[in-house]
Amino acid sequence: MRTVHRELSGIQLWRRRKMAARSIGLLRRLRVWRPGVGAGCQAVSSRRVLGHSSREQAGSVTSAPEPALPIGHGDAPPQEVMLYDKNPDYHGFSADPYVDVWNMRLAFFCGISLAIVVGSVFVHYLPDHGMRQWARREAERQLKQREAEGLPAIDVNYYSTDRIALPPEGEE
Amino acid sequence: MLKILIPTIMMIPTTYFMNKKWLWTSTTSYSLLIATMSLLWFKWNLETAWNFSNNFLAIDPLSMPLLVLTCWLLPLMLLASQNHLMNEPYIRQQTYITLLILLQIFLIMAFSATELILFYIMFEATLIPTLIIITRWGNQTERLNAGIYFLFYTLMGSLPLLIALLILQNDMNTLSMFMLQHISNNLMATSWNKFWWLACMIAFLVKMPLYGVHLWLPKAHVEAPIAGSMILAAILLKLGGYGMMRIIIMLNPLTKEMMYPFLILAVWGIIMTSSICLRQTDLKSLIAYSSVSHMGLVAAAILIQTPWSFAGATTLMIAHGLISSALFCLSNTNYERTHTRTLILTRGLQIILPLMATSWFLINLANLALPPSLNLMGELLIITSLFKWSNWTIMLTGIGMMLTASYSLYMFLMTQRGPTPQHLTFINPSYTREHLLIYLHLLPSMLIILKPELIMGWTF
Repeated sequence: MRTVHRELSGIQLWRRRKMAARSIGLLRRLRVWRPGVGAGCQAVSSRRVLGHSSREQAGSVTSAPEPALPIGHGDAPPQEVMLYDKNPDYHGFSADPYVDVWNMRLAFFCGISLAIVVGSVFVHYLPDHGMRQWARREAERQLKQREAEGLPAIDVNYYSTDRIALPPEGEE
Repeated sequence: MLKILIPTIMMIPTTYFMNKKWLWTSTTSYSLLIATMSLLWFKWNLETAWNFSNNFLAIDPLSMPLLVLTCWLLPLMLLASQNHLMNEPYIRQQTYITLLILLQIFLIMAFSATELILFYIMFEATLIPTLIIITRWGNQTERLNAGIYFLFYTLMGSLPLLIALLILQNDMNTLSMFMLQHISNNLMATSWNKFWWLACMIAFLVKMPLYGVHLWLPKAHVEAPIAGSMILAAILLKLGGYGMMRIIIMLNPLTKEMMYPFLILAVWGIIMTSSICLRQTDLKSLIAYSSVSHMGLVAAAILIQTPWSFAGATTLMIAHGLISSALFCLSNTNYERTHTRTLILTRGLQIILPLMATSWFLINLANLALPPSLNLMGELLIITSLFKWSNWTIMLTGIGMMLTASYSLYMFLMTQRGPTPQHLTFINPSYTREHLLIYLHLLPSMLIILKPELIMGWTF
């Protein structure tokens, strides 16, 4: 595992803010108690608290200890945390909520409703793939016919021997 | 054929003239519509091999499922890349999408080519967009090394193929697959014929990859961005398998003696790469080595040239394409949150992302070839045909399957079970987009179980 030593970049600042926000959030949750609120709302509100507190604590964070993690590859865009704050129904497509919802709808419609559902129906009702079922029926029919006529079930040769043209005997 | 190719080509102007807000929406939707249209290619109701043909492009039951998979993969790549490209300048997003579409076009033409030189040109052409994607959008400095390994390993293999094809053209005066499938099998064991055999095969063996020449694959898969990893795992490896299946028809009876070293390498590679998987610290590297393992089975199957092995090879190619691509998508969901691929750092995710854990579970089960998944069908056909060819291979393939099961379970247990590290408790929940992406991988692979003759090639 390589540790990369860098100057204080945006990612490090963001991580320090996050660390501080975590500790502030924990303290707030221990102190503040809201009666009658379900666990889900609590989680959302603590997330909002986190988002707000990270912004509040931006200035006074430089003394927070750096987490002993190897720094991840690449820079994390700091607005990842904010996306759910701005748009609680974020679907992962776009920051603009209108485009996000429509992208989600179109992707699901074209992908699932059209491609998978309509596509599966189409593929299911395709005719006999490679004439395999026909081949089975034909084989059974021919077998029945040959047994009725008293012929052997199948000819020993793949095709009839009088179609093979051999060179005359004694010729090189 | 053209009703898929022309819309795909026209998607390139679409990306450049599209309104900035609607770029990703429109490209995803159009590529899904093209993928729906591509299901028409499954219509094979004659016994003749080649359908939907014009002078240059045709489809047969071998290329049919690979083409449909290619068309299905473009929207999946767009869905997967949408997030990590969100902060890039608009023109770069357009360039990325254009590269993916170009790859799609080259792959469609490669799989449907009826002339070997057109296949060769498209085979080479797919290298360029992939190289650009890996070296420009990869996340670490090793991407340059990865790009070089990827490019030069494949080129070293395929330049002899060019010479071999030119020799064949000189000899036969045609390189059309329609004609070449009827040439008589009289490749005798002279030393020049052996060189020619090697020249024909080495390109595809490197591409598959065969165990001894597989070094480019872990590098390229790991350093590529998610769309690069997906297209590499799902389709580009299968180009090697497809090419080998096309060309090996002409190489009898010399194949019976020339294939031994490569078969040994392929089967031994299954065990070796599966064992390496158990020792990996990098999640993407684990998935990359598992690809080598599965493709080793496919390579061995193609080399023994029996009807069941060809059916198993095509089945496993499709199954592995879907499942491996899904695994890379899953690892990318981790990577986008934690920006690390190290297994011990992305642990215990089941508690915080339970629905994604279900997807991880199902896809890892498919990877270890649990019945009734397609992977099992393919592996079963291949293993039984290898057993018929030589009884001793069952020991190697059996150990290989056991190791496959163990590393798949290891991957699942490491990423999902166990205590969640402190630094992971505040990651974003799974997006709808990510769930859709995984289900668009899982649903086709589950649906094909109901009609597997679609992907079993022409020998089934």
